[in-house]
Amino acid sequence: MDLSFSESQQLLRKSARDFFHNECPKSLVREMEKDENGCPPNLWKKMADLGWMGLIVPEKYGGVGGDYLDFVILVEEMGRACLPAPFLSTALGAMFLLEEGTEEQKTRLLPRIASGENIFTLALNEVESQEDPGSIAVKATLKGDSYLINGIKLFVPFAHLADWLVCVARTAKRTSPEDGITLFLIDGKNPGINYVPLRTIAGDKQSEVIFNNVKVPKENILGQPHRGWPVAKNVLQKAAVAKAAELVGIAQQSLEMAVSYAKERVQFGRPIGSFQAIQHHCANMLIDVDGSKLMTYKAAWMLSEGLPCDIEVAAAKGYASEACRRVTALAQQVFGGIGVIVDHDMPLYYTRAKVAEVAFGDARYHREVVIGRKLEQKMPKSWLLS
Amino acid sequence: MDFKYSEEEERFRQELGEFLDKELTEEICRQNWEDKGVWEAGRDFCRKLGAKGWVGMSWPKEYGGGGRSITYDFILLEELGKRGSHYPLDVGLMVGNTILRHGSTDLKKEFIPRILKGEIEFCLGYTEPQAGSDLASLKMSALEDGDYYIINGQKTFNTECHYAEYHWLAARTDPGSTGYKGISLFIVDINSPGISITPMWTLSGERTNEVFYDNVRVPKRRLVGEKNKGFYYVLEAIDHERITVFYPELLEFTLNALIQYCKQARRDGHFLIEDPLVRDSLGKIAIEIEVAKAVTQRAKWMAGSHMETTYEPTMVKLVVSELAQRLANTGMEILGAYAPLAEDSKWAPLKGRIGWLYRSCLIALIGAGTSEIDRNVLALRGLALPKG
Repeated sequence: MDLSFSESQQLLRKSARDFFHNECPKSLVREMEKDENGCPPNLWKKMADLGWMGLIVPEKYGGVGGDYLDFVILVEEMGRACLPAPFLSTALGAMFLLEEGTEEQKTRLLPRIASGENIFTLALNEVESQEDPGSIAVKATLKGDSYLINGIKLFVPFAHLADWLVCVARTAKRTSPEDGITLFLIDGKNPGINYVPLRTIAGDKQSEVIFNNVKVPKENILGQPHRGWPVAKNVLQKAAVAKAAELVGIAQQSLEMAVSYAKERVQFGRPIGSFQAIQHHCANMLIDVDGSKLMTYKAAWMLSEGLPCDIEVAAAKGYASEACRRVTALAQQVFGGIGVIVDHDMPLYYTRAKVAEVAFGDARYHREVVIGRKLEQKMPKSWLLS
Repeated sequence: MDFKYSEEEERFRQELGEFLDKELTEEICRQNWEDKGVWEAGRDFCRKLGAKGWVGMSWPKEYGGGGRSITYDFILLEELGKRGSHYPLDVGLMVGNTILRHGSTDLKKEFIPRILKGEIEFCLGYTEPQAGSDLASLKMSALEDGDYYIINGQKTFNTECHYAEYHWLAARTDPGSTGYKGISLFIVDINSPGISITPMWTLSGERTNEVFYDNVRVPKRRLVGEKNKGFYYVLEAIDHERITVFYPELLEFTLNALIQYCKQARRDGHFLIEDPLVRDSLGKIAIEIEVAKAVTQRAKWMAGSHMETTYEPTMVKLVVSELAQRLANTGMEILGAYAPLAEDSKWAPLKGRIGWLYRSCLIALIGAGTSEIDRNVLALRGLALPKG
């Protein structure tokens, strides 16, 4: 057992923190909230030059060949920095390709991800479908050598910038809701696609994506037809833990800001951090930050090792989702009036916590996953039940 | 980063698990957990564990320990917890660490082998009527008299004293002193003349005690470590207590039983487990137990790697004790009208243990540092906030 990070992981964290400190100031974050594209191309290019887009891409496809835990460290720092960029959605594209892409697809697309040339996004959620494969209604119909895709996807991050969409669509109605789902790689510039920007409280870029007879050649299926859901589920586990890491970054930064303010801000002739009311707020934040962090690292480590970890993954995202909301709310409280002013950094974190909370399963969803898995497990004999 | 146990550690876990499945009875589990006192069955079980060499596996070989990593000690606690038990003579394990660190060679020779063999138990003697969270205000006096200390005063909430052999006693050896300076730590034979013990019964049926010292003579060789440095040792022992007495596996044991119950019990036309609100609240506790395990694992790893801890063991205690209360509340909510039924009542679910936890969980929120003191520790030592 060794719960410390390797030297190279510590170095990665430090270089990421320094980089974002210099290259991603809050003024830029605020500017990007108002910007139509929402991501500065220069910043994206510099991140690619550092090898981060290809962090989890094997070297033979132009990447760095790091493991999932490295990736999680980087995403945590991005959460801390409120990074406005389609990093996670592009990395998910790489994960889909690595999981199920053909050699041709991998050779063609992974180097473009690693170089920062291509942006990917995931078109998963729908008007009536969040996590349940049975409710996926976007339909793909085989016509000759191509599929025609019709329907609406929602909450697709940075869709307007995406070169490629990974679209989760229904190709057949079978008895099992997980059966009959297919994954498609769709060219983002396909003329049949319409993007409608959705404005959020955090100024991040999400779209409604409308598919109107979008023609996709058969070769652009990712993996096997009708058998896409198990693949999606694997990638979604990694996505959930990555989101948890982003939440950890948000929470850690909020805690640090609040604590440092509590040491400086004087009321009644003493720093407010010397009052137990404030100390206990901060202690509660520390419990939530450490709990989320350790659970997230544990789940990430298990994913890295390929161990069965449905419960740990759900615990990481399920816990971090609520914990980060609690932490940012308490940090707001410590800052008092100044914290709610729009020029202050706290509102950036408070709103981003909510956006990340509901992505890839909120706490309620993950609680159901955990109880479902526990019910499947064989329980040890217990004297309480004898 | 590596959360896994080594192959050798896992082999030990396996072998130990098989032994526990055979030897650990309901009676043994409940004796200590419910502070009923550890009597013949529990003592016999400890002697068997000791004979296997499975107690104090991290302690030095020269005193009969295993000379291995502390991870083995934690595995013992985890496996006991999964089966609904503490180590029955757990106070001995707690104080043994301090004896090994600060005690004289004579004390080590006298006590460590007997702790390891499961022969003796200790009870903690810290709290006094006027010294609770402000433990440094304790007044019990120990004055030198030749080869002895003469001890006078009163302790309260000293829980294991009615069945332990030795009192792990904090007393003031510098009569002019106040605060944490001038306090020393003693090992006192609980049967010494002048000691009287009276029971205090808690709302959940556990026994704790008031202990009175009336001119009790304690040989000087029973002083632990240096005179007047006892308070530091006490703080150190409490930190160890926080990671060896509070463990999430015990909560998982109760949660698992509750889940099993919900699978079988029907209410208003459906099984309890089919109710989405029941599932949600059980899922919430299950997640919090996973998180508590991760938080605990950090403290164990730090202890095992001899790293200096500041607030990490305190967080374990705080998280686990407060989670026990939420588990109890969740269970009581799910059980509804059945919840208040006592163990000996007809229709009592799960042997009345949820109703018991609902009452007994209060103790863990107070003992070994109240939740409020723990939050102070997190704020002051974990976050370096200024003292008020």
